[in-house]
Amino acid sequence: MAELWRAVVSDRAACLIFHRMQSRTELVAVVDDEKNIRETVAFALKREGYRVNTYADGAEAWAAFKRELPDLAVLDILLPRMDGRELCRRLRAKSEALPIVFLTSRDEELDRVLGLELGADDYLCKPFSMRELVARVKVLFRRAALAADPSRREESKMLRAGALEIDGLRYTARWRGEPLALTVTEFLLLQALARHPGHVKTRQQLMEEAYPHDAYVSERTIDSHVKRLRRKFETRDRAFAGIDTVHGLGYRWTEDDPR
Amino acid sequence: MRLSRIGRRLLVFNLLLVFLPVAGFLYLDIYEKQLLEAQERSMVQQGRVLSAALSGRGVLEGGEVEQVLRRLNRRLDARLRVVDTEGLVLADTSRLRPKEYDRAGGAGPSPATAGQAAASPASAAPARRNLLYRAGAFLADLTRRAPPPSEPAPSAEEAAAGKLDGKEVRAALSGRYGRATRVSPGQRSVTLSSAIPIESGGGIAGAVVVSQSSYRILQDLYAVRLRIAEIFAVSVLAALLLSVFLAATISRPLAALREESAAILDRRGRLRGTIRGLARKDEIGDLARALEELTRRLEDRQRGAETFASDVAHELKNPLASIRSAAELLHDVREPEERRRFVGIIQEEVARMERQVSQLAEITRIDARLENEEQVAVPLNGLLAQIAERFRMRESGRVGFDLRMPEEILAVRAAPERLTQVFENLLDNAAGFSPDGAQVRVALERSPDGAAVVRVEDEGPGIPAENLPRIFDRFFSNRPEGKAARLHPGLGLAIVKAIVEGYGGSVGAAGGRNRGAIFEVRLPASRTGVFPAGAPTGPG
Repeated sequence: MAELWRAVVSDRAACLIFHRMQSRTELVAVVDDEKNIRETVAFALKREGYRVNTYADGAEAWAAFKRELPDLAVLDILLPRMDGRELCRRLRAKSEALPIVFLTSRDEELDRVLGLELGADDYLCKPFSMRELVARVKVLFRRAALAADPSRREESKMLRAGALEIDGLRYTARWRGEPLALTVTEFLLLQALARHPGHVKTRQQLMEEAYPHDAYVSERTIDSHVKRLRRKFETRDRAFAGIDTVHGLGYRWTEDDPR
Repeated sequence: MRLSRIGRRLLVFNLLLVFLPVAGFLYLDIYEKQLLEAQERSMVQQGRVLSAALSGRGVLEGGEVEQVLRRLNRRLDARLRVVDTEGLVLADTSRLRPKEYDRAGGAGPSPATAGQAAASPASAAPARRNLLYRAGAFLADLTRRAPPPSEPAPSAEEAAAGKLDGKEVRAALSGRYGRATRVSPGQRSVTLSSAIPIESGGGIAGAVVVSQSSYRILQDLYAVRLRIAEIFAVSVLAALLLSVFLAATISRPLAALREESAAILDRRGRLRGTIRGLARKDEIGDLARALEELTRRLEDRQRGAETFASDVAHELKNPLASIRSAAELLHDVREPEERRRFVGIIQEEVARMERQVSQLAEITRIDARLENEEQVAVPLNGLLAQIAERFRMRESGRVGFDLRMPEEILAVRAAPERLTQVFENLLDNAAGFSPDGAQVRVALERSPDGAAVVRVEDEGPGIPAENLPRIFDRFFSNRPEGKAARLHPGLGLAIVKAIVEGYGGSVGAAGGRNRGAIFEVRLPASRTGVFPAGAPTGPG
């Protein structure tokens, strides 16, 4: 079962699904003031078949977005002239569904972005793995496509753990029937925890599950993701206690919902 | 109440001051002696007057002598007796007015008048019984030397009733001045007795014996001692209160400061908040304010160090991200052309990181360098001309450099390498922002207050007003996208600022006349380095 899930999550499987679904003509916007980052990211995404537009600052990007919205945006947070958060807010105002990935070189910024509930779909810390970024972009396109096409629901691979429902295909989760707005990273973490209720997952294991293509993620990053994940549950359910911290070991999904 | 160490010291000092009056007890001994001498002088004086009055009359008659005594009597306070050549008492003032003379002549001849205790004035007794007095007297006795030994006089002054036979009487009857001091048993007071011969013709007709007890003097001294004891007791109390008060006003705020300074450091030795300055206007208030300022600066410094570390991490992550991405792609891509491109990116970013790291090392070392480097008078005219020439060559016509120098040579005391760094960074910055064909204007002039002012003006996009306050911050970059930006980690202007301020100068930035930006460096002109026009320009 676990292997099957892993296969679904891996980008190779995702690629197969996508190739069947549609041809890759989605437009990805990359906004970063670092020329070499723009260049390499654009190259990697083009190699995957996406169309890519790059912008060096927020104002330039916004000017282009007003004419044509991209299908997905990769934004740096600290941008000259218009910063990534403002750009994200404006994009969200235009489109609820548009997937947005943040790139950041400061952990503090990450907290601010997520604290403001800007509705980013995922984020990666610099220096990020290019393979990880490409995999995330694919996952986000798939999630967006499935969300836009409810008729494909029957294909869902559902996982249930108490009041938690996880859709491994759509990268969505529900708690007591209510949808949770999770980033891809948070979703992967939650899935790794809920797959084996009651079993402790070490930070190292969680890192491997949440960042399958990136070996250089710090354990502290996992802690802050788990913290945010809990917060998202708590906004739905104040008494949420589904994720246990096992001191010195890691985290686990508590088997039984007390209610 | 527990006294602090300072409080205890204050108490000791205060008590030392208080013990000074106790020294007065010792002084009273001398005082007593002087009083006794004065009393004896006055007794002798009185005796002489009487002796003079009685001399030359031949054999003394009791009635006649009594008449003379009676006349003198009113002005006398000692007991006067007149004896004939045999020592027989012819007249005695105490017999004329017994009550009055009991007081003055305590050691009277008769047992009735000799009982001084009974004759003591009632007021003296309570003074001596006073607890305070006894405590004082006890302390005084500890230091008091033994009373001077009195002459071993016969306990009975009179050999027989009506006849005086003291050694002073015998001396007087043999024609000399005689004196004796008699101790009354059980009493501290003594009786002074002086005898003056009465001359008649060539011989001695008798003697005048003047005697007076020192009781009155002692009584005065008792009163003084009591007074001192009272003052002492009050002073001790005052010293105690004063010490407590001083301890409260000095050591308590000090203890509070100590606690506060211990509290602002957490377990890992990190500063948490600053010491609150006290509102006091005294030295302790000054100390508290100084500590507040110190901790505030330390906190700034600490915050600076922390943000510096996070800034450094942030700045290094960008090139690292490019390197990592390019390296991953290099691994996946086969086309030689693409591979070359990614290798180029890696090399470029490595060079950038190298520059960043060396500039970081530079900026952290500037303070130490400024302190240790030898400073000489550097003529700015020559230095600026040299740097501008180097930049002209570097930019090879893309950007022009226009120099405007004053007639006089303006020099600054500094290390030439640091000044070069300052102006190179400024010109580099100006050139980097300049579009092709633009001019960078460099002007040197003397300000009205005597400072050397260098202005570097470019025709670039200028500095947005909201960025002006941050333009000299570390890592702040206002740079447009472009190849040049790769090589500017945003530390150049921070280094300029650190150096110029290290030399006691200032830097400023403003928007230019048209677009562009103006950077202004003000440095204190070296007095020895101001040469008249035409003088050698140094390394120019």
